[in-house]
Amino acid sequence: MYFEPNEDQATFLSVLDQIASGDGSGWKVPADWSRFHWADELDRTLEDNGFYDCAIEETLGPVTAAAMIHRLARLSVTMEFAASAMLRPFLPPDLPRPIAVIDGDPAAAIRYLPVARSVLSIGEYEVRAAMLDDGDVQPVESLFAYPMGVFSATIGRWQRIDVDPRRVRESWRVAVAAELGGTLLGGRDAVLAHLRERRQFGQALGSFQGLQHRLAASATKIEAAYWLTLKAAQGLEAADSAVALGYVQNAATTVVYDLHQFMGAMGLTLEHPLHRWTYRARLLKSALGGAGENLKLAASRKWRAA
Amino acid sequence: MDFDWTDEERAYRARIRDFLRRELPPEWGDIARHGPGSKEQTDFSRTFCPKLAEAGLLVPHWPAEWGGADRPTWEHFILGEEMWASGEPRGAQYMNVNWIGPTLMRYGSDEQKQRYIPPMAKGQAIWCQGFSEPNAGSDLAALRTRAVRDGDDYVINGTKIWTSYAGLAETCFLLARTGGADTGKAGIAIFLVPMDTPGVEVRAIPSLIGHGDIHECFFTDVRVPASSRLGAEGEAWSIIRYSLANERVGIPRYELSARVLEEMVEDLKQQGRFDDPAIQIRAGEAAAACEAARLLTYRVVDQKARGGAPGPEANVARFAVVTADNSVTDFGLDFLPDFFSGLNRPGYLAHHERAIVAGIAAGAAEIQLNLIAHRFLDLPKVAS
Repeated sequence: MYFEPNEDQATFLSVLDQIASGDGSGWKVPADWSRFHWADELDRTLEDNGFYDCAIEETLGPVTAAAMIHRLARLSVTMEFAASAMLRPFLPPDLPRPIAVIDGDPAAAIRYLPVARSVLSIGEYEVRAAMLDDGDVQPVESLFAYPMGVFSATIGRWQRIDVDPRRVRESWRVAVAAELGGTLLGGRDAVLAHLRERRQFGQALGSFQGLQHRLAASATKIEAAYWLTLKAAQGLEAADSAVALGYVQNAATTVVYDLHQFMGAMGLTLEHPLHRWTYRARLLKSALGGAGENLKLAASRKWRAA
Repeated sequence: MDFDWTDEERAYRARIRDFLRRELPPEWGDIARHGPGSKEQTDFSRTFCPKLAEAGLLVPHWPAEWGGADRPTWEHFILGEEMWASGEPRGAQYMNVNWIGPTLMRYGSDEQKQRYIPPMAKGQAIWCQGFSEPNAGSDLAALRTRAVRDGDDYVINGTKIWTSYAGLAETCFLLARTGGADTGKAGIAIFLVPMDTPGVEVRAIPSLIGHGDIHECFFTDVRVPASSRLGAEGEAWSIIRYSLANERVGIPRYELSARVLEEMVEDLKQQGRFDDPAIQIRAGEAAAACEAARLLTYRVVDQKARGGAPGPEANVARFAVVTADNSVTDFGLDFLPDFFSGLNRPGYLAHHERAIVAGIAAGAAEIQLNLIAHRFLDLPKVAS
């Protein structure tokens, strides 16, 4: 058992970190304070340099893809990376991205749809993909920090992809777990920086034990979620992926509540980017049925219940 | 990154399980029910541990010089998981294997090593640790037991409390103050005290966690030779830090919790209740908590196996272990309360008693949270 990345993984993740945190890159803390900021420049850089292909590289694989998703989700900006990185082994290489994923009700608002160039439908018995044309999608207003949209026309260009739908679904479950785990960590780190600097009652806020214990308990969950997700990415076993997603979705409720409490009124403004993490987390925590459904799934798969 | 066992590690685990199947008697469940510090379990360990030693499964990770086989860290850890999950048939002797023996190898005098290590390696030694005191629990550095130098001897006076295994132990790994009352950590020394030394008195304290597990130990004018001191005066804190670093993550409690959870699910299936979605969600939650604790623990073991320095990840793992133990305990109490009365599921009772210790022993859960805040999250010291 090795928890450290191999040489190729270490190099890959190190370069990714450098690109994602470069000074003056403009994508780390954009100034427009909108509910989300689409990081087109970063996304193109990653795509042009083959980062989204890591899951099909022999020495990188799905574990690296999950780690990459986790890292990108820590950023305050928004891109479509989870499906592109984690589902890459199952997709036609010419399927254009960004990719929107339908994993439930196709009539519901779907994240990334207004910016997506293709859409993937993961059904119980088949996986289908379609390229999107102008006029196929209607953007919708949303609470969540993603571009959300609905179909404005019936898509007639669906093509069945010859893959095992269960394996695609488990990969997607891991991808969502990685994205939610990274999102919680990104928000947590932004709040930690605030708590170290902000002083009240003559002390740094972060020195109060009432806050420290809650942050420490959350840190345990965020750490555990990361490793559960990477382990699930390695085997893509159904029980592991459901455990990983159910665990992090369960943790998200408390973590998001605490982060907003600790930011106080500053966290209610758009001047601090906390909302960009928490309002992504608030969507992801209900993905694929939410914590209850995924934990139930974990139990039923582990113990072969009905 | 690779989260699978190697074939060699799987074979090693299978070998241990095979040994346990062979050597644990049919009545083992009833013996283990009494707790690792009980007379029943201690007596059992006196015959079981020598068999383990003979099979090369007591101290395989120790150096060959001291009866070990220089086996890898991961094998030591697999051994610990299997022993704890089967009810810890080594009783108190797991402490010898995990940290007392290695600490003596590092800091002991030749005389101390020759006297104490061979019996440990043969499975013939019972130790207790004299750490906590009535006014020094989590704040261990506030301990007041005094060891005053008198010629070639020390004279020890003081009280230790909540001491596991003391009733049957032959030797105590004792912390006592040799410096002044205000010397804090710097004024403490370690003494290896035979429990039959005149002036040592042990009183069992009735407890929730098994018979004979918690004691009060009174040291009244206990005279020990200076040669019983481990290391130098004032060196205790760094020795203890070495001991903890050696052990790092403590008992792999999640392994027993995960197995007890399996039994609980089987009972619910037998009762036709496991199709209830509410029960499935809670079972999934408890299973996830066990898996979380397991992976966080494995991460620390991996650091140790690579020769890495101890880090705050161990505190993160320890807190997750407490959460996992309680998650399984609560699951059982919520859905199978009838099995916590009577003796038809001794394993549930034994797990419950072990689980409620998880957040108290070897550093309270809240101490772990303090350490995570400072060392892992780099938050400032707590406001006064």
